[in-house]
Amino acid sequence: MRFWFRRVNWPRNKGPTMPGFLKEFFNRNGIGMGAAILGLVLFWTIGLIILPQLSMLDFSFRPNLPPPEIGGPKDVYTLENYKYLIYGPEGGSQSYNAVDLRVFFRTLLAAVCVTVFNLILCYPIAYYLGQSKGNHIRIFAIMLIIPYWINEILRAFALRIIFGETGVLNTLFVGLGIWDTPFDFIRNDIALYAGLGYAYILLMIFPMYNVIESLDKNQIEAARDLGAPWWRIHWRVVIPYAKPGISSGCTMVFMLSAGALAAPQILGGPSSLWFTQLIYQQFNDNNDWPQGAAYAIVLLVTCILFVLAMMRLFKVNMGDIGK
Amino acid sequence: MNNSFLRVSIWVYLVIFFLYLLGPLVIMSVTAFNSSAFPRMTPWECLTFQWFGELFQDQRILNGIKNSLIIGAGTVVLSVAMGLAGALMLTQIWPKLRATYYTIIIAPILIPGVVLGISTLVFWDRINRMLGLGADSFLSNGIFLTVIGQSTFIASYCMLVLVARLQRYDVALTEAALDLGATHAQAFRKILLPFMRPAIASAAVLAFLASFENYNTTTFTFGEYPTLTIELAQKVRYGITPAISALAFIIVALTVFFALLNEAKLKRQELVAAARKSATVEELAGKVKLPSLFAGNMAAVLLVVFAVATITVVGTATAYNPGQCIANVKEQKRLEAEQRIQELRKQREEQRKKREAEEAEQGGAQQSTPKPSNNSGFGNVFAPNTLGGDAEEESSDTETPPSNNGGFGGVFDPNSLQTDQ
Amino acid sequence: MSAGVGVDLENLWIRFGDFVAVRDANVNINGGDFFSFLGPSGCGKTTILRAVSGFLEPSEGKVLIGGKDMRGIGPNKRPTALIFQNLALFPLMKVWENITFSLEISGASAKERRKRADELLDMIALPDQGDKLPSELSGGQRQRVAIARALCAEPDVLLLDEPLSALDLKLRQHMRTELREIQKRVGITFIYITHDQGEALTMSDNIAVMRAGVIDQIADGKTIYNDPNTAFAASFVGENNVFRGKIKQIMGNEALISTNRSGELVARISTANQGKLAVGDDAMMFIRPEAFAIASDGASGDHFVTARVNHEEFEGNVFNIFTEGDGGKEIKVSLPNLGQSFDDHTGQNITLEYETRNAVLVPAGELAAE
Repeated sequence: MRFWFRRVNWPRNKGPTMPGFLKEFFNRNGIGMGAAILGLVLFWTIGLIILPQLSMLDFSFRPNLPPPEIGGPKDVYTLENYKYLIYGPEGGSQSYNAVDLRVFFRTLLAAVCVTVFNLILCYPIAYYLGQSKGNHIRIFAIMLIIPYWINEILRAFALRIIFGETGVLNTLFVGLGIWDTPFDFIRNDIALYAGLGYAYILLMIFPMYNVIESLDKNQIEAARDLGAPWWRIHWRVVIPYAKPGISSGCTMVFMLSAGALAAPQILGGPSSLWFTQLIYQQFNDNNDWPQGAAYAIVLLVTCILFVLAMMRLFKVNMGDIGK
Repeated sequence: MNNSFLRVSIWVYLVIFFLYLLGPLVIMSVTAFNSSAFPRMTPWECLTFQWFGELFQDQRILNGIKNSLIIGAGTVVLSVAMGLAGALMLTQIWPKLRATYYTIIIAPILIPGVVLGISTLVFWDRINRMLGLGADSFLSNGIFLTVIGQSTFIASYCMLVLVARLQRYDVALTEAALDLGATHAQAFRKILLPFMRPAIASAAVLAFLASFENYNTTTFTFGEYPTLTIELAQKVRYGITPAISALAFIIVALTVFFALLNEAKLKRQELVAAARKSATVEELAGKVKLPSLFAGNMAAVLLVVFAVATITVVGTATAYNPGQCIANVKEQKRLEAEQRIQELRKQREEQRKKREAEEAEQGGAQQSTPKPSNNSGFGNVFAPNTLGGDAEEESSDTETPPSNNGGFGGVFDPNSLQTDQ
Repeated sequence: MSAGVGVDLENLWIRFGDFVAVRDANVNINGGDFFSFLGPSGCGKTTILRAVSGFLEPSEGKVLIGGKDMRGIGPNKRPTALIFQNLALFPLMKVWENITFSLEISGASAKERRKRADELLDMIALPDQGDKLPSELSGGQRQRVAIARALCAEPDVLLLDEPLSALDLKLRQHMRTELREIQKRVGITFIYITHDQGEALTMSDNIAVMRAGVIDQIADGKTIYNDPNTAFAASFVGENNVFRGKIKQIMGNEALISTNRSGELVARISTANQGKLAVGDDAMMFIRPEAFAIASDGASGDHFVTARVNHEEFEGNVFNIFTEGDGGKEIKVSLPNLGQSFDDHTGQNITLEYETRNAVLVPAGELAAE
């Protein structure tokens, strides 16, 4: 791997120009193959990633018009869609759009809770898997991966069976006489949090596992030798070492929880909405695409800013994420 | 002592963790075999396979599977191709651009699927309008949009899988092929592609699974072609039936099967590699077959157990007829309902009696304690088949106090007569 | 020896951005020669090889193969075959498939390829190994497979990029002879890249000594060893004792140098520098360890160096004496083991004698790193 990178990069580290790079690229790959690679990469990065995002951004600043009027005189840039999130419909009874704003902050807060819950739940497992050897580790790994291969909807469905009013848990607890009447897990959002946590366990464990696995056992031994108690070993040795993995896992879980749609739709209580559900409603029920796009932009930008802020707070480098 | 306590607590934690992880899947799978019309494990009614039958008659599910397969195939092809191109580009891109480029191609993993779906929809809708095409053009076709939308982020997964292998590739191999007269395309096809094949296979499987289970992006782009996941979501949101459990069971079973198959294959390769190391070529041909597939291969053993279990279950399913049991359960439910009505009546009767008694008390104190058993016995005449149920089914409520009038009541119930025969 | 196809480099410059990897190289390689580029790592010799094989386009100048300008012709169209430093055998192909890859490209049938592979396997003395994977061969066997694969393409020029560097010493010495024999048998031009002067000297018809992108000297091995052009060539090829000083007097092809530490000594001006040096120039004099003899005590003059013996070692074929010269400079002396007895001189002062033709004078310049 070292060899590969050295070989590939060495000549060009001396800073050639862009045309120089292209010329060498085609020399190296041939005209046909080079064009195919470059074409696919450009299609992906520009056609599928950059332009659609820009297009959505542009769209979010436009009024919702019927198709014939698009491009017409009424099609001007406006902040209306963003104002709507904060102030609600014009001439509305309230001065702020309390409903949507509450959903928005609740979503962020809940995503943070899910992330923290997953981190606490998964850290011991990741540590155990990373530091143990043997055949049973492979079996554990398979057991970890299998749920991840099951459809997201079905996983939510499974939890709904368990947390339902006549579900396994209620039957069990009522049967044991712990509770008199069935507890409504769904209305209390417990089912939702459990479902979100459940959905992203693997994404939390794997980055942490990858890092912890590479931690030299001797470091732990040495710390233990010096008389450090187990919690201090984790606090001073393992966690600092695993920080890139922890931040990768947390970033993924946070972004995916905040952007989740299936679990809130299936497991969410009737009165509590997830922000993505508002976006979904704007698109599918209200048919107001620009409004939905604006909400999507708000979600995306807020999530990115939040992650960046957290990374700064915990002194994590961008380069560590995604490893 | 401290050590063993730690070990025990680790195992307890592991058990709880895996219960959380696997328990829901097991419970969901089990509900597929319960005849209760609402997916539940308790109370257990009857073992049934009817939900599977129902599943395979559901046109929307079948259509969803078809759409999912088409979209999955398209996504696999597009994402693996883009992922491979992206990985190749990453290893040779102009160094000043590398960090930016990496951020761009990794970003789709972190962008919420909802946002990807919306941006895809909005962007291609605009392209469609710019080209002056109608609402039914190729660009606004649900399959096209879904493949494009899903590939945006699935290609990133593929890229990560592929670049890991590509980093172990020695470019000198391609150069050697070129030097020996191959064209760039030949060198790619004959040298790089075979080297990448295992990673490409993994990426393809990953892409297909990701496409198959995707909901967030697809829900904005599917148009007229709902995938299985979309159909499932609709069903789950608006009323759940055990037919979904049945589908879930099939998916879980397939997943477990392929996971074990893969593990067995890996293990076998390891064993073969170990054998190869200690053998010359002449020995190899004979020796590879000698270590039986199962020696030291847990996964293979489990695989066989799994296959046997599947055959048994399918065999039972074709021979087994739960009609009897279901009828019984239905009957019993009817009885329970009636009993409830009966109890209500009884209460009312008691109240009436009480009132009468009170009235009588006011008249004459001697009659003040009527025996309640008389009343209950009387009431049970209208709940005729408690005994019939008793004799027949263990699931019947044995706590029902035996009643003198039970046998008598049974006469009124045609069902219990039939079951007696 | 002009049966094969020659290779010429004309005013060849290769730059990577601001970095000059090859500076104005001019080389004529005769057809059928075994030609070596010898230099330390990073001197640009591999870059030249890649320019010849077509993986790099020269920034300036020309690469001619058989008199034909190769500009714009890709590596797959050039009549060259390259043996890579790490051999680059295709790991997923069997040995015979590796060897006949060039035939596969040209569309030969499997039967034909198999036949050719067996011939080549016989030639490299690896019969019946065709069905193995490269990973199942030993280092030396892999080496030979790589050669067979390159030869199968029937190139006019075979380029070898330090192919022996991964082998252990014994095997390396064996492969030297074998390579030379193969080259004689097939009669094509070999261009060989190495940092090992032993390899270059034993195998090559001609050697180019390279330093930091510049070719210092092109000559046959004996000339390079005995008559180096530059201080770098003198110090890189073989072991050498260096004496720095100023030229005091020039007498035809000889010069008297006043050295910094060993007094005034006489040396022969190297052929390439005759007529180019003047009195007062900084110069370096090189005397090989084996060119010294121990003189009788008290002898003095401009052919004698006095030195105090630091330590001694017996290497088998030679007996090495490490001495400290007048000004504290270390001089190595190697006496051939001819069965004589070696006295222990440690701590004593000895006088060393040399012949003028063995003391070569070149202009002061950069020395090869130890």
